[in-house]
Amino acid sequence: MLSLRNVSLVYPNGVHALDHVNLEIAKGEFVFLVGDSGTGKSSLLRLLYREARPTSGEITVDGIRVDRLRRNRVPALRRHLGVVFQDFKLLVDKTVWENVAFAMQVTGAHTRDVMRQVPRVLDLVGLAHKSRMYPGELSGGEQQRSAIARALVNNPKILLCDEPTGNLDPDNGNEIMELLSRINLKGTTVVVATHNQSVVDRMRRRVVRLQEGRVATDEERGYYYLGLGQGQVLSG
Amino acid sequence: MDWGKVKFFLGEVLRNFTRNAGMQVTAIGTVAITIVLLGTFLFVRAALAGLGGQLLDQITISATVAGNASAAQTIALRRLIAADPRVASVEYVPKEKGWADLQRRLRGQIDTSLIPGNPLPDVLRVHAKHPEQVPAVAANIGRLSGIGTVRYGHSEVVRLLQLGDVLRRVGVGVIALFFCVAGIIIANTIRLTVFARRREISIMQLVGATNFYIRAPFICEGLLDGLVGTLLAVVVLGVARVTIWPKLVAALLFIPLNSVSFELGRMVAELFVVGGAVGIVASWIAVGRHLRT
Repeated sequence: MLSLRNVSLVYPNGVHALDHVNLEIAKGEFVFLVGDSGTGKSSLLRLLYREARPTSGEITVDGIRVDRLRRNRVPALRRHLGVVFQDFKLLVDKTVWENVAFAMQVTGAHTRDVMRQVPRVLDLVGLAHKSRMYPGELSGGEQQRSAIARALVNNPKILLCDEPTGNLDPDNGNEIMELLSRINLKGTTVVVATHNQSVVDRMRRRVVRLQEGRVATDEERGYYYLGLGQGQVLSG
Repeated sequence: MDWGKVKFFLGEVLRNFTRNAGMQVTAIGTVAITIVLLGTFLFVRAALAGLGGQLLDQITISATVAGNASAAQTIALRRLIAADPRVASVEYVPKEKGWADLQRRLRGQIDTSLIPGNPLPDVLRVHAKHPEQVPAVAANIGRLSGIGTVRYGHSEVVRLLQLGDVLRRVGVGVIALFFCVAGIIIANTIRLTVFARRREISIMQLVGATNFYIRAPFICEGLLDGLVGTLLAVVVLGVARVTIWPKLVAALLFIPLNSVSFELGRMVAELFVVGGAVGIVASWIAVGRHLRT
């Protein structure tokens, strides 16, 4: 489903964000990307939704060679993906319903499909009763759920989440992770870049650890820190 | 037809248009002023071209018939000249009529009785169909045997034709200048609305909206700026046509402005095309720059 082969990314300012990264993610997997700030987690996600182009290497997303993709084909790629950010990126002058519908409307979806699909995803994220509210009237967790609904409304096969719990308290963070887990159970491939140790340790999913732009470890059922469970701390 | 899509699209355009009302008023006002200036210029140019055309139309080629030519030869010459497809009319003025006309015109200025006999030759007065053909027609007549001298005010014709040419060139330059000024202002307005909506645009890009779809509301916004500005300008020009033009005609009696005809409908259509095109081109460029970054 997702494949990075020997991928490097050097930004124009000379910063080496990724260094010969190799990574395969199968359809329906749930993967955590962890690592300190600046280790390349967000850069890796940006490469997947073609916000950036690799300096070298091959990237394939759902059969599409992203590294070779021409600019006018990027919209087609992004319709295969849903992207969720730490800061939600909601439009403050649109209601929850309008924010979610917006993602379908701007891709030319038929109104009949919009009317059918939007209530369905709002129901999935538990916001059907708040569909007429504006983002400013919602809690952080609810705003993030709105953003997830928007990311899901076009039925993407892959959901990329960049620090989805970064702005949330632990309870709301846990709720969001449970929601992502439910979405994953329905068959969507989910990739989450996070610093949230507690959810990573609790969920025990595949953990890919980045260090200085390289894949340091890749564990099938890992913890946030290598070999450590929840409640344990690094000594020294 | 998916009316929901149409409603959403028009809603986005209207939302854009009303969100930066101050800037829209500025853009529309500037377009209106530019189009008023352009309209005035087109009006003046049409008036000058009309007057120049009238003057050129009055230019007559005067060809004298050689003194030894018989009446039959003169008639043959007249037919020969009239056969030229560039010639509109040929008038034969016998020397007796010419002399009588001259005496009448010079009455009170010169005592023509002091001039012995009739010094004038028979003359053929020729009108060309198009003013710019006058020199060529005159040269052709001059080559005919039986023709003496040919006059048509060569330097005046050349000057008038040059004036017309200069007016056309200056006109194109001035219109291009107005086009650029209005375009830059609309582009800046659109750029501000693009900046105000950059978050929305980034989300559109993120969910897979095509650049065309992102661009379309801004293009409509620019078009609306151009058309509304032009509408205001046409109203102002229309009022000026009704109130100021008659006074101008009355004040400048020595210039036959009254006889100048304007294709008003075409002129208004041209202004709307210019206004709309400026809006579209300017907004296309303004959004394009943002989408590339």
